[in-house]
Amino acid sequence: MAASDTARATIRDMTTATTPLRELLAEAFPDATELEVQDRTGGGDHFQVIVSSPRFAGLSLVEQHRLVYAALERPLADGTIHELRISTKGP
Amino acid sequence: MTDLRTQIEQIIESEPVALFMKGTPAFAACGNSQRALSALRGAGAPVTAVDILPNPHFRQELSALSGWPTIPQIFVKGELIGGADIIEELAASGELERKLAEALGPEYRNGRDERVVELEAA
Repeated sequence: MAASDTARATIRDMTTATTPLRELLAEAFPDATELEVQDRTGGGDHFQVIVSSPRFAGLSLVEQHRLVYAALERPLADGTIHELRISTKGP
Repeated sequence: MTDLRTQIEQIIESEPVALFMKGTPAFAACGNSQRALSALRGAGAPVTAVDILPNPHFRQELSALSGWPTIPQIFVKGELIGGADIIEELAASGELERKLAEALGPEYRNGRDERVVELEAA
């Protein structure tokens, strides 16, 4: 495989790793004003998610993070997510 | 021997600040555990550290009990405060020191040194 093909394949893999997580979060937070999923290491299993949602209003950080964990329950349980960093913001 | 669930409950209930982590304060085996430890140290918290790595049941039982899927987990006076991200956020805003003073008293820094307790597999 040519070097440029390898680079393209890598970029595609990085995108596909974050897509299912983004979809799960979009489903759980349909009213999110900010929703970001980053593959921190490029390895497809260390993620940073940023969610801003009016749903977080009045909730403690623990409660806010619990909502994010609940949305990502499946990929957390099956090992897709090895490490997760969360940043949540209320309205 | 006390069962695992009870051991974990006792640590959470009796320790002023319990940090369940990967590794020990002397050698944290994970960046997030190190981040949490540094934030707690920065706030002068009297940390009691518990290594969950020696046995996979330790982590399973802790997460079943707390409903929190990741490590580290930090408890202050029996209450889950969060994981590494939350502790860092609270430390940065000064909220962590306020929380510790409120839960443990204004002199919490003079309490005692860091300690390590070990869980025993059944």
